[in-house]
Amino acid sequence: MRVVVAEDLFLLRDGLVRLLEAHGFEIAAAVDSAPDLLTALLEHKPDIAIVDVRLPPTFTDDGLRAAIEARRAVPGLPVLVLSQYVEQLYARELLADQAGGVGYLLKDRVFNDDQFTDAMRAVAAGGTVMDAEVVSKLLGRRSGDEPLARLSGREREVLELMAEGRSNSAIAQRLFVTEKAVSKHSTSIFSKLDLAPSDDDNRRVLAVLAYLNG
Amino acid sequence: MNLTNLLFYGGAGMPVVPPTIALAIGMAVALGRGLVGPDAKTARGRLRGVAWNVALIVLSAVLANALSGVSWAWLIILAAAVLVVAHPRLVRAAVAVVLVVLGLTGVAIARRAGYGYGVDQIYGMTLVGQLNLTFYLLLPQAYFFLSLGTWLGWRVVRPGREVPGPRRLLGRMAEPGNAARPWALLLLPVTVIAAAAATPNLWFGAQPTGVIWPVLVLGAAVWFIRAEPGRAAATAAFGLIGLGLAGVYLGVTYSGAGWPLPLNGAGYVEYGVIDVTSQTMADLAVIQGLALAGAGLLLAPRVAPGLVRYLGVEAYRDLAQRIQRLTETRAVAVDTAAADLRRLERDLHDGAQARLVALGMHLRAVEKLIPTSPDAALALVAEARETSARALTELRELVRGVHPPVLADRGLADALRALALDCPLRTETEIDLSGRLPASIETACYFAAAELLTNAAKHSGARAARVSAEHRNGVLRIVVTDFGIGGADVAAGSGLAGVERRLATFDGVMAVSSPPGGPTMVVIEVPCVLSPVLLSS
Repeated sequence: MRVVVAEDLFLLRDGLVRLLEAHGFEIAAAVDSAPDLLTALLEHKPDIAIVDVRLPPTFTDDGLRAAIEARRAVPGLPVLVLSQYVEQLYARELLADQAGGVGYLLKDRVFNDDQFTDAMRAVAAGGTVMDAEVVSKLLGRRSGDEPLARLSGREREVLELMAEGRSNSAIAQRLFVTEKAVSKHSTSIFSKLDLAPSDDDNRRVLAVLAYLNG
Repeated sequence: MNLTNLLFYGGAGMPVVPPTIALAIGMAVALGRGLVGPDAKTARGRLRGVAWNVALIVLSAVLANALSGVSWAWLIILAAAVLVVAHPRLVRAAVAVVLVVLGLTGVAIARRAGYGYGVDQIYGMTLVGQLNLTFYLLLPQAYFFLSLGTWLGWRVVRPGREVPGPRRLLGRMAEPGNAARPWALLLLPVTVIAAAAATPNLWFGAQPTGVIWPVLVLGAAVWFIRAEPGRAAATAAFGLIGLGLAGVYLGVTYSGAGWPLPLNGAGYVEYGVIDVTSQTMADLAVIQGLALAGAGLLLAPRVAPGLVRYLGVEAYRDLAQRIQRLTETRAVAVDTAAADLRRLERDLHDGAQARLVALGMHLRAVEKLIPTSPDAALALVAEARETSARALTELRELVRGVHPPVLADRGLADALRALALDCPLRTETEIDLSGRLPASIETACYFAAAELLTNAAKHSGARAARVSAEHRNGVLRIVVTDFGIGGADVAAGSGLAGVERRLATFDGVMAVSSPPGGPTMVVIEVPCVLSPVLLSS
């Protein structure tokens, strides 16, 4: 799998490259600024791009904007955005095109390399991965809402993991239940929230996120 | 001369017995009603009640005495006694009215009075008609009564006092917010002095004009005071200056010979409290003139802001106020900054720093464990990773508190949107900011809005809130509204006072509207410049 990495701090960029190479990813390009990122993305059309939000030249949200621009040129180009902070506002902007193939994670998540590379593969496959912090903020904001209040505790846990972009089997593993139980919960959640059920993992995530964002 | 004669001089066949009886009744009523009147609950209240009642009766008697040419004048005392019994609450207002009437009567008497024919009538301390020291007290007494009555009247009926219909009585004087307002009343004595000095006949002068002209002149003055208190006050101030200059002129041109000026009934120019009868009185007129002009000059800046601006005095005063405000807000800014740094230091020390120390110790332990027990080392490494993740989380929170990343990335508009998204209340935004503001103001306003939203989420019980922001005419205006229970109070030790204090550093102001039952609406306004967005690549 070919990867473009955009990170301006040398230590972090180097660390990421090593980690990804150790996990068998092929580094197409490792760049340190937003303009270079845009060039690299359009030139290499990688399977996935790992992008830091804050990049030169202005050191604000250049990375995020470059990623969104590249996705406008190449619809569905998988992008995993990393940041020291997660903002619902940025998550919304990433999700706005509804095309999938988007991830938004805290940089700390790199510590857990297995989960991180899982997330990368999910995004590369067109899935959507949201940081747990984004999801909990979304849920926090909607916590008083009537339909969400009807969910059981376990169903809320499943909803959270679904919104993060995990597959049924990953959720089952995490909650120590069977996949069948997870799919039962998922059906129940969708009917309680009045969403159209879908077997497609990606569409399911987008539906849940759209609901929470609404 | 016995006491009765002094009190009630029965000249020209006027009755003596009825007014004496009326006075006796009046005094008895004044004492009795004072002791059981509306304020008679405390000793102090009783004393005050008696004092006001007695004042009214005595002043009525003085007035009746001064009007000794009027055969029914003693009825005034009886009327006062009836008022004391029937409407004790109106006694103070009545005292003011009697004083004003007494003052005007005194001026009229002085206009007409000659001397040398024995006692004609008695005005306060003056035996009118005899040229002695008390004669010179006639006009001072008259103006003293007039001014005291006017001032007392204002005290009794000024807004906020419980006298029925003060608003109707006061006209625009009742409108709040004008500090110069009470000074308008000064126009009354000023008009009387000016008219007395300038015309021979007004106030029953040498050729009495009847009641119509005095009523017209006084009526016009009262109308002006009620309709345009501000201008009336300014007119009074400039009138005082003019009167003062006129007095000085009068004094220095006095020669004892005839004057081309109107003379009163006694054949003199009447200037304020002085009848210019001799060189000594002319000198006193100069002194009085200087005093009046001085009073006018002192008053002018208060009642005529236009003049003050013209003289440049206001700029100086504004500057002084500005310095005062800057001193205060700078102190707040410095204290706030110091407190923020202390908090930051403490948070770093107890949080991230401590975790890094723990991390180092873990790694050292791992070093030692690797050769002997790799499994234990592995567990410690996992723990170390956990610790470093926690340190990162804490640093993240800390940085958010110092300068929120969205604010740095996108500016206030998106930062407020992000704030609304993060708020546990369902928060709408309506933001119209098409540029960037000065960084310090963005930060201050961001934290102000954050605090207001936090307040709303914590205390208002609301489910929904609203944030709007716009920049118009050089002022950034942010409105945070929640649809909760209301009742927020800046004074009640909430965070609101802190928000207001911090904004003051930027000359910002805050207004809170929070009726019980809600909604609560907080408006903050900060003057600043909106600069166009810098387009980056």
